[in-house]
Formats: sequence, C-alpha cells, structure tokens
Amino acid sequence: MILGMIKDYGRTILAVAEMTVRWTLIDSFVIFTIFIQPLIVALLALWILQDKGNDVAMFVVVGSGMTGLWSGLLFICGNSINIERWSGTLETLVGLPTPLEVIVFGKCLANISFSLLAMAVSYILAAWFFGYTLSLNQPLLFVVSMLLTVISFISFGLIIAPIFVMNPSIQQWQNGLEFPVYMLSGFLFPIALLPGWTTPISYLLPPYWAAQALHGTSSGNAPFEQILLYWGILLAFCVVYYLLAGALFKKMLVKARVDATLDME
Amino acid sequence: MIRTLTLNLRLFWEGTLLSYIALFHWLRPVTYLASKIVAPLAQILFFTFLGTFATGRQNASFYVIGNAIQITASSGIFGVTMSIGGDRWNGTLAYLFGTPANRLVMFVGRAFIHIIDGFMGVVIGLTWGALLLGVDFSHTNLPMLALVILVTTFSTSGLGLLMGSLSLMTANVMFVNNTVYFSLLIFSGANVDISNLPAWMQVISSALPLTRGIAAARALIAGQPAAEVMPLLTGELVIGILYVLAGYFLFRWFEMQAKRRGTLETV
Repeated sequence: MILGMIKDYGRTILAVAEMTVRWTLIDSFVIFTIFIQPLIVALLALWILQDKGNDVAMFVVVGSGMTGLWSGLLFICGNSINIERWSGTLETLVGLPTPLEVIVFGKCLANISFSLLAMAVSYILAAWFFGYTLSLNQPLLFVVSMLLTVISFISFGLIIAPIFVMNPSIQQWQNGLEFPVYMLSGFLFPIALLPGWTTPISYLLPPYWAAQALHGTSSGNAPFEQILLYWGILLAFCVVYYLLAGALFKKMLVKARVDATLDME
Repeated sequence: MIRTLTLNLRLFWEGTLLSYIALFHWLRPVTYLASKIVAPLAQILFFTFLGTFATGRQNASFYVIGNAIQITASSGIFGVTMSIGGDRWNGTLAYLFGTPANRLVMFVGRAFIHIIDGFMGVVIGLTWGALLLGVDFSHTNLPMLALVILVTTFSTSGLGLLMGSLSLMTANVMFVNNTVYFSLLIFSGANVDISNLPAWMQVISSALPLTRGIAAARALIAGQPAAEVMPLLTGELVIGILYVLAGYFLFRWFEMQAKRRGTLETV
C-alpha cells in the first residue's frame, strides 16, 4: 500500500514538475530570475573580484548560481501556492485527493532544478567571456552536495509557500529578503566580513550550509570530514523543515476548509 | 496665454497628485519600509561587502555612494513605468487619449512624484552609508550634492518615461525593467570603475543616465569643489532631457498608431 502511494505521488510529482517546467519556459519573470539576474551578478562579481586570482572564477560561478537558486526559491517557489490563488485554481487543488504538499513539492522540484541552470550560465560566462580555466576539484562530492542542496531548498520552499499564503504581510518583505540571504549565506564573500551577531542567523539557513558544501567541493579546500558535516546539517534541516512544512500545510488547509478564506488576501 | 499656462500647471499638479495617491494606494507603510528602506539597504550592504572583500575597507565609500545613487532607478524606472503603463492595464488610456490635455505636461506630471520619492530614497541610502559604513560627508558641499541627486533622479526618471512608453507596446515590460535596473548596476559605474569596462560598454555607459551623476556624487563627497563637477552635472541634465523627449515622442507615436489602427488594448 505504501509502495503504491509512493508510486502514485511520484507520478504526480513528475507530472507537476513537467507542467511547471513547460510553464516556466514562457514566463519572462522566471527567465529573468533564473538567467538574467545571476548572469549580471556573476559579471559584477567577476569584475569586482578579478584581482583575487584564477581561483575566484569557480567561487563566483558557484556563488552567483546560488543567488539564482535563492531568488528562484524566494519568488517562484514562495509564490507556488499564491499563483494558484491568483489563477482561481487553489480551491480545486485543495479539493483533490492528492495532498497539496505533494503538488507543491513537484512545483518546487521543477523550479529548483531549473534554477540550477543559473550556475551553468555563470560557468559559460566565466569560461567564454572572461577566459578563465574552470575545474571542479571534487566532482563526485560536488554532485552529491548539489543533490542535497536541491532537496534542502525544496524543504525550504515547502515552508515559505504556505507562510506566504497565510501571511500576506510577510510576503511584502519578499524583495527585502533577497540580498540579505545572499550575504548571510556567504554566496560570494565569507560571512566573517559581517558583524559577529549575524553568524547564528547564517547557521540557521540551509543555503549557508549548501554554499559551504558547494564552495568546499568545487575548490577542494574543505577536508572530507567537513563536507560530511555540511551534508549532515543539510539533511537535519531537511527533516526538520519537512516536518514543519507538514504542520504548516495542515494549518493552511484547516483555514481553507473551516474559515473558507483561502482565496482572500 | 495665461489661461493656457494656468490650465497646464493645474494639469501637471493634478497628474502629480494622482500619481502620489496611486503610489501610496498600493504602497502601504510596511511595503514602503520593505521595498524602499530595507531592500535598498540590503543592496548597498551586499555590494559594499563584496567590494571590500575584493579591495579592502578603504574602498567602501565607492560602493556605498554608487549603490545609494543607483537606488533612484527603483523609483525612476519601476515607479514611472507603472504610472504610465497603469493607465493601459486599468483601461483608462482610451479616456486619456480622448482628452484635449497637453500631452507633455500630463506625461511629465506622472514622473514628478517619483523624482521626489527617488530623491528621498537616495538620501536614505546615503544616510545608511554614513551611519553603518562610515561614509564621510565632512568635506562635502551638501547643497551641491542635493542638486546632483535631484538632477540624477530626474534623468533616471527620463529613462523611466521612455520605459513607460515602451510598456504601452510590450507585454514583457517588467522583464525589460528588471533587466535595465540590474544592468545599470554595471553600466552606471555603481560597482565597477567605468574605465575597467570594455570600450563598447563604456560607450553605452556614457549614453545612460546615472553614470555622470554617480561620478559627480563621488567627486563631491571626496571634497572636490562644485565647479569641478559642473560638466558632469550638465551632462546628466542633458541626458535626462533627451530621455524625457524620447519617451514623450514614443508616447505620441503610440497614441497616433493606436488611434489610427485601433490597437490601444491589443498588445
């Protein structure tokens, strides 16, 4: 029975992901968030950091790609339920026998996976436009880090999507949350540059640990034990966030069915 | 003649007032705090930390001033475009084109409140720079700096008027606006010394608003006398006027085409 459920949900997730990717390809805001903005951030970072030597190129490729991942998560995954509300399809989705979180999981999976292209765009820019020689020092570990990054970002997306639906006032801070997470997660410079009181906040953000793992494996500067620690923390965050997401979705659905105020901002 | 002038002044003022009301209809205090105070601060901090990571703390002012001035593009581009394009999205453009009102006065009136708003945004940005990042204004000719900010905000709003007119012809205006806003982070010299850019990019920089304004603000804050920055200021003003005129002529062209072909709502 459990196997059948997993199979059914897996099929739903893949179908939703496919539809989301198709829709994403024609959405100019998504194209901007995933391609144009990280490209401009990468261009700026490569110019600003050019005196730091050849090693900085891969650091910028990973860091600017992560800015695309975060912006995609914040604006696209964050609005993945809201967009159904704006389209008038949320009530129908809530009424389906498939849990809403499974559908949102599929949407986040597609968006986060698609956002990885930001890194590829930055790679092409650094290699072709700036002529850097780029190499991954620990490719296998990098791929594993990337997979864990995707899973942890999806878990984060499953948290913020219901929060944005239930609290439109928090959603107003969306624009204001973009750059702070770039900084607090150390995407393009070490968090040691920031005031000491911000460090605990960084430690609470999965993007920080994902950035550590990806920077560490791409540069080869982090020992394997350290990479394992980053992976462990990312997985721990995933477990906590998936549990929390379950509770948030439950609360949201109660609001939908009892208060009948789901489509109201 | 006096009557025409009075009517046009009233039209300008009504347009400004309605733009102000429209702006704060959707821009609640919390939204304003988030998008006009916190988000710009975050942008300034991000690029300043990135810049100091690369070149040391002594260069923090370069990034703070560049980004604080560039923030005016937020009001100048997004605000002005929404003022112009809003008429089309809300279905009021047809009525607007039916009036005998002076188009230039009506057109520029829409931008005026965003110039004030953009000016305030830059002042807030520079204040953050002084409070948090140690930008020193002790050698600055402050009235002249205020004039530079005002002229730069005007010229950026000129670009916004042009983008607003384009918004009447394309459905992807927010994509274009976002791309222009972020491109200005490079081309305006806010974060990269213009002389380090390739020659073709320097040509584009010189044709954009903000470039001379940012250079003038940096020079004034470094203690240069007002006379030294006058050529930059004049250049910025001329660029602004050219963009306003280009936007106005595009607006008129769109109006003519829309009336001739009946394509007002079809893009």
